[in-house]
Amino acid sequence: MPIKAEIGKGRIDWVFIAAVLGLLGLGTLMMLSAASPLPYYTQILQRHFMALLLGALFFFFGLGFNYQIFQDQAQVLYALVLAILAAVLLIGTTQRGHRAWINISFFTFQPAELARIVMILVMAAFLDWRARKMDQFSSVLLAFGVAGPVMFLILKQPDFSTVLTFFPILLGMIFCGGAGLAHLFALIGYGATAAFMPLLYTFCQIRYAQAPPGSLPYFILQTSRMGLSAAAVIAAIIFISVMAWRLSIMLRTQARAIYFVAIPLVLAAGMLSGAVATRHMKSYQRNRFVAFVAPHADIQGAAYNVHQSQVAIGSGGLLGKGLFSGTQSRLGFLPERHTDFIYAVVGEEMGFAGTMAILALYMLLIWRIVSAGRLARDRYGYLVCCGLATMFAFEFVLNVGMCVGLMPVAGIPLPLISYGGSSLVITLWALGVVANIYSRRYSLL
Amino acid sequence: MIQNHHLLLPRLNLLWALIYGSSAIMGLRLVELQILHKGEYRMEAERNRTQMIYQTAPRGRIYDRNGVALASNQPAFSLIYLPAEGKALADLKPLAEDLAGQINQASATLLETLQQAVSEKTAIRLAENLPSRTMFRLSELKTIYPGVDLIVEARRYYPLGRFASHLIGYTGKMDSRSWKELKSKGYRVDSRIGKMGLESVFERQLRGIDGGVRMEVDAQGRLKRILERIFWEPGSNIYLTLDANVQKAADEGLRKSATNRGAVVALDPRNGAILALSSAPDFDPNALLSSDPKLVKETFAGLTEFNHAIAGTYSPGSIFKPIVGAAGLNEARIDPQEIVFCPGYFELGKRIFLCWEHKGHKKMSWFPGLTQSCDVYFYHMGLKTGGALIEKYAKLFGLGVKTNIALKGEKSGNIFGPESRAKSSRSWWYDGDTVNLSIGQGELLVTPIQMAVVASAIANRGTLWRPHYTDRIEYARERAEYKQQPEKMGSIPLKDETWNNVQEAMLLAVSSGTARQAAIPGLDVRGKTGSAQNPSGDDHAWFMAYAAKPGELPSIAVVVLVENGGKGSSVAAPIAKEVILAAFGRTL
Repeated sequence: MPIKAEIGKGRIDWVFIAAVLGLLGLGTLMMLSAASPLPYYTQILQRHFMALLLGALFFFFGLGFNYQIFQDQAQVLYALVLAILAAVLLIGTTQRGHRAWINISFFTFQPAELARIVMILVMAAFLDWRARKMDQFSSVLLAFGVAGPVMFLILKQPDFSTVLTFFPILLGMIFCGGAGLAHLFALIGYGATAAFMPLLYTFCQIRYAQAPPGSLPYFILQTSRMGLSAAAVIAAIIFISVMAWRLSIMLRTQARAIYFVAIPLVLAAGMLSGAVATRHMKSYQRNRFVAFVAPHADIQGAAYNVHQSQVAIGSGGLLGKGLFSGTQSRLGFLPERHTDFIYAVVGEEMGFAGTMAILALYMLLIWRIVSAGRLARDRYGYLVCCGLATMFAFEFVLNVGMCVGLMPVAGIPLPLISYGGSSLVITLWALGVVANIYSRRYSLL
Repeated sequence: MIQNHHLLLPRLNLLWALIYGSSAIMGLRLVELQILHKGEYRMEAERNRTQMIYQTAPRGRIYDRNGVALASNQPAFSLIYLPAEGKALADLKPLAEDLAGQINQASATLLETLQQAVSEKTAIRLAENLPSRTMFRLSELKTIYPGVDLIVEARRYYPLGRFASHLIGYTGKMDSRSWKELKSKGYRVDSRIGKMGLESVFERQLRGIDGGVRMEVDAQGRLKRILERIFWEPGSNIYLTLDANVQKAADEGLRKSATNRGAVVALDPRNGAILALSSAPDFDPNALLSSDPKLVKETFAGLTEFNHAIAGTYSPGSIFKPIVGAAGLNEARIDPQEIVFCPGYFELGKRIFLCWEHKGHKKMSWFPGLTQSCDVYFYHMGLKTGGALIEKYAKLFGLGVKTNIALKGEKSGNIFGPESRAKSSRSWWYDGDTVNLSIGQGELLVTPIQMAVVASAIANRGTLWRPHYTDRIEYARERAEYKQQPEKMGSIPLKDETWNNVQEAMLLAVSSGTARQAAIPGLDVRGKTGSAQNPSGDDHAWFMAYAAKPGELPSIAVVVLVENGGKGSSVAAPIAKEVILAAFGRTL
């Protein structure tokens, strides 16, 4: 029924346009305020307005070209993005330890932003191609195989935050693309176990720093060293699953044998990957886990940023302290105020009204992307919209969650609001593609 | 073709529900932060951005009865250091070196002070009375070394220095016990409070409301702007009944005395107002507030908070004799004209009691007996009057109970007589005890302030006024005034003739007897000397006197005690003379 109502509308989704413009307007307003105490204020503003202009151009570029070109030329796109990412590693410039930027005359460009959107376009083409075989586990594995090289090249920069956003996007697209639920659960179980391990280790390190040998926390910490204790845990998992299998045969539960292989396999693989990841974490990444696990343990250390962000948001109250009047942001208590923590500036200066306005506009935007996906004329457009909706939703939830203290610090900016030229231009291009998918929903065209 | 993915749409809907749900959680969290807890976060943001530099408000001033300032305030800049929890001792070295150049102290001693502050976890004043030009350079150090702070404060100052120190007391840092008690009452950890005497008694009234500068600072603690200046409110001023000249004479007299230990109390016999309350050894309260830590330490080491005037108990010796006389004469146990022969000793059974004049006073009656302070005469008189009556009269004159002057540490002394002995039921009361009691010896113990009340009661013929030192308090904030009213503790119903006889004898003692050294031409001075035997060494020198302009009511009663000073006539009486002279000085 709602689909029929949507079909009758024009080619341009004005609600979608309004949401984008609203977010851009609010973002620019906040940028004017948040960046004003910085020494490079005029430079930041110049770049931001330049990116807005360029972004508008890219939006119409995305809107103007038939999106199906991306499906046809997926291999070319894929090769192109790999080439650019490789080029970054060779000729890119290094800022703050990341070799992630390419200088194009007066502009620096961050190819990882482009790679993410192109990855969605390529992945949609791949999943559409595998449409009839999506219920096979091989499709899931192959999808990760396609994304793997791109993620690897970005990881080499190293840019963990961007790579981190790939996982939910991939999961969302595979899910919406019709992958087997059991496969998805295995994947999610693996990911969750792997992500849980560093949290568990950090928790044990903080809470039970002086755990005596023989106690459970001591044993858990020992497993991170990959020694006998890790082997013992894996042996225990195998033993328990064998016993459970025998038990289910005795009880004649008719459970399929694959569960008794897959579940321990997923758990063991997840644990091992998590342990390996923990051992290779950099100290600032470890600190973020510490800040999330124990926010009050060390208020001046890693948890300082998150705490100051909450203070900024909370002190804004209902209507905020007014633009250019936030003490937390202007006096430097709030870190990264025009990039990662700009939502906290919104909270401080525009209060609950401002944060809710951005939340509402975001939900409107994602709803319109989801709607465009529903109405898309083909499976490819549907999949692109699914990927983009997941991307926006994940970045929004992670960024806002970080600002309000519900998520660990991940260093992910808020698209359309945070400062960042490449991100703004590429995001607007992606939104142009969405508008394009919506405008071509009639199969006649 | 249009719905070739329609079978997958439930999955997209589920994804949308998931997104919707997580954003709802974010929204709820925003409600929690921005609406439910906004007050707490607003306060924390405010704490983040503001710092307060406190300025200790001036304490209320203390004046004497003529408006002479006894305690006032001086402005001072102080550099303080508040050690952080668990601060490593090694971190202090660069701080000590940087500060040493600024405040002219050796970095080694400064490091020692800092280390002490860290190990004791107490705030410490590194320097006081800093010139304003170093202030700005020192405030830069504040940003580098957390814990270093500059404060402007009104420092207590005692213009007369070593003056009535036991009565006025001093101010000092809080100990941990008073900090626990006072921290909810607006005191800060570095606040100074009255530690003794009036400073302590009137702490609530004297304390002002601290002011300060509220500043906006950035995340690095650098000053952005000054938000507001809060002006302090000084404490209430207190006017005492004390006369600075009289007190000065008393302080100096004791200081010049042989042992520099003792007390002087001067009262106005008409209302019990204290004109002087002096105790030796005294101290300089300014030295306790000095910026030189060595001087402070030395002063504290030599400081005895023992106020001899109210807490010292002594045998009264011969200054008890007027009370014995009053008992005997008023109860008609002895006639003033009755002759007693003094051979220089007195036999009671097998025991022999000596007169202080070993050669003997020969023929004695009431007037020569008191003026010469003949012990043998009082042995006779005491035995005729009886221990019980002497005890009764001692109690009538207020001995054995506290005067309840509003000062900490007052003692009640010890009453001595058949009744009190029966109460303690240690043994019988013997005639030998009566003989001892009749010259103010034995177990009778009095405080100088009790004897001052006795002297004024003799001077005003029978009214016991409670000694008080407050004249009035001007409440600074309420714009109100409190006026102290004299309070009667009791009265002594003696016959007029008895008062005449006692007063006349004390006049003769000054004009021609043992107290000649207290005589002042043109003034009516009456007194009684005493040299009390005691187990600690030489006799305690006592003198009790009152004085009036001729034809007027007595306006001062003085009691002088010099511990182990020797003879009352030569040691205590001259001090009393100076005190009386000071009291009448401006009109003589």
